[in-house]
Parts: sequence; C-alpha cells; structure tokens
Amino acid sequence: MNHDAVRTLLTLSAAGLLDPEAERQVREHARTCADCTAELACLGQLAVGLSTLPAPPPPLNLVARTQARIAADGDRREAWRLSIAASICAATLAVAACLQLQPYLGSLIWIAFAVIPSLLGAGAALTLASRRHLERSLL
Amino acid sequence: MIYEATLGQDFPLAEPTDAARLRAGDPAALAAVVGRYQHRLYRYLVRLVHDPATADDLFQQTWLQVVRQIHRYDPARSFDTWLFAIAHNTAIDLLRRRTGECLEDYPASAPDALDTLLAGERAEHLAAAMDALPALYREVLTLRFEEGMKLEEIAAVTHAPLSTVKSRVQRGLEALRRSLP
Repeated sequence: MNHDAVRTLLTLSAAGLLDPEAERQVREHARTCADCTAELACLGQLAVGLSTLPAPPPPLNLVARTQARIAADGDRREAWRLSIAASICAATLAVAACLQLQPYLGSLIWIAFAVIPSLLGAGAALTLASRRHLERSLL
Repeated sequence: MIYEATLGQDFPLAEPTDAARLRAGDPAALAAVVGRYQHRLYRYLVRLVHDPATADDLFQQTWLQVVRQIHRYDPARSFDTWLFAIAHNTAIDLLRRRTGECLEDYPASAPDALDTLLAGERAEHLAAAMDALPALYREVLTLRFEEGMKLEEIAAVTHAPLSTVKSRVQRGLEALRRSLP
C-alpha cells in the first residue's frame, strides 16, 4: 500500500475501525514513514482524548423525575383503559336490563338504564384514577 | 490499535433479566436500569443536542418510550443498541417538531470565545472542538469513543448504512484533527 492510500486510512486506524489486514498494512507502512507515524500518534491521542472527555453530570433528581413521569403516564393510560372498560360494561348491562324490562316499563327504561350505569362507571374510574394520582404524589 | 487499548473500562450493561422485569412492569427494575444508564444516556443526549434542559426532557421521553415499547424488545439483541436507537429517534422527533429540521441540518454551536480562551487543558480544547462539530459527527464520535460501540451497533442506532457511519467517523475525526493545534 502506498503512502497516499495509507494516509486516507489513518483516521480509521486510530478509531479502531480497520479490518486486520488493512490495519497490518498501515502499521507496516508507518514503521518506515515518519510522517504517518507522527500523524497516527496524533490521531491516537485524539481518540484517547475523546474516550476520556469529561462527561456532563446528569441532574441530581433525574432518575426520580423520570420514574415519576413514567408512573404518571402509566396512571393516565390505566385510567383511560378503566374508563373504556367501565363504559363498555355499563352499556352492555344497560342494554340487557332494558331488553328485559321494556315490556313492563316502556321506553322510559331505556333512558334510565342507559344513563345511570354509564355515569356510575365513569365516576368509579375517575375516582380510582384520582386516588392513584394522590398516592403517587404522596410518595 | 491505540484507541481499543483505552476501552478497558467496564460499561454498565443491562442484565439479561432486566428486560424481563421491565416487561413485567417491575418498578424496582425500572429504577435500577434508569439509574444504571443515566450517565451514559444523558451524556449522549447532551452531546447530541447541546442543551442540558432539552437533554433532560429527552432522557425522560426516551424511558417513557422504553416502557411503552419493551414488549417489542428482542432479548437476542443488545439492550444498549435498542435503548440508544430509541434515544436517537426521540431526539430526531423533537428536533423536527421544534425546528422543522432534521439532525443533518442541526447547526453546530460555535464554541464560546471566552470558554476557548480560558480552556488551558487539552481536554477542554477537545471538548470545545467537539461542540463545534455538526451533530451528525458528534453523535457517531460519542457512540464510537465514549460508548465504545462497534460500527454495526452505531449503524443500528442511527439507522445509517455502515459505509455512511464509517465516513462520518472519519470526517469527524479529521475535522477535530484540523481544529486542534
């Protein structure tokens, strides 16, 4: 491998990204080329410097805030799921009850049984979600 | 290879059971894994976006995505690569939303003149030079030299072809070499 070809590979060599054969050729050339040896040493120092750069310290409570955000997100999703489940259950119950009672009470039963269970279900889900939220905030 | 000799330090890695515990929604496992990765992930994000407040927010968003997507994680793959790929995607999404730009366009901040003047140590010069690089180069250099990732892992994190990653490492190092005395 000639000097110019090796020159283009020096950065990759310093980064440890050459395959063994190319790395061997670079080393072989560098043994007889003062310029490439110096450049390789310089790039090597650069690579070492990069791997030991001072790291920015994370904020002290980053982990706790992350956990709290994940918990809050989980609560929101759970409350949403509960609300949907409660609504479906309530609606199913209301329809079934209305079908049974319609011959006795007429169309009024449809209104009463559609509204009451839905309100109860949604209220229960909201209460549960707010209680969990309160519990998290107390931790 | 000079660089590889410096990679003697042990990186804290996720234990094999961590993913299973995360999948089961174990809060203790979550706290342990977030704590174990906080320095590395926060450093990567700060290098990528420069701004500590943005990195803080991205850090939290990344873990939110981890919890939401943990069922998609394949234990046969490296957890590090998967985690950093999520962080990369989260950062890209934020940059696009915030500025309408992508990482390729994200401008490098010029090193503060006073900081450069006061920087007596080589590490400080190097840090200033690194800050002045475009985000694409900062990212691959951080993943290669600070995270010790292989080319294939960097390619998986950044969703770029191997040749592109190699070229970015090369150009980033050359730019640093030129900018240092």
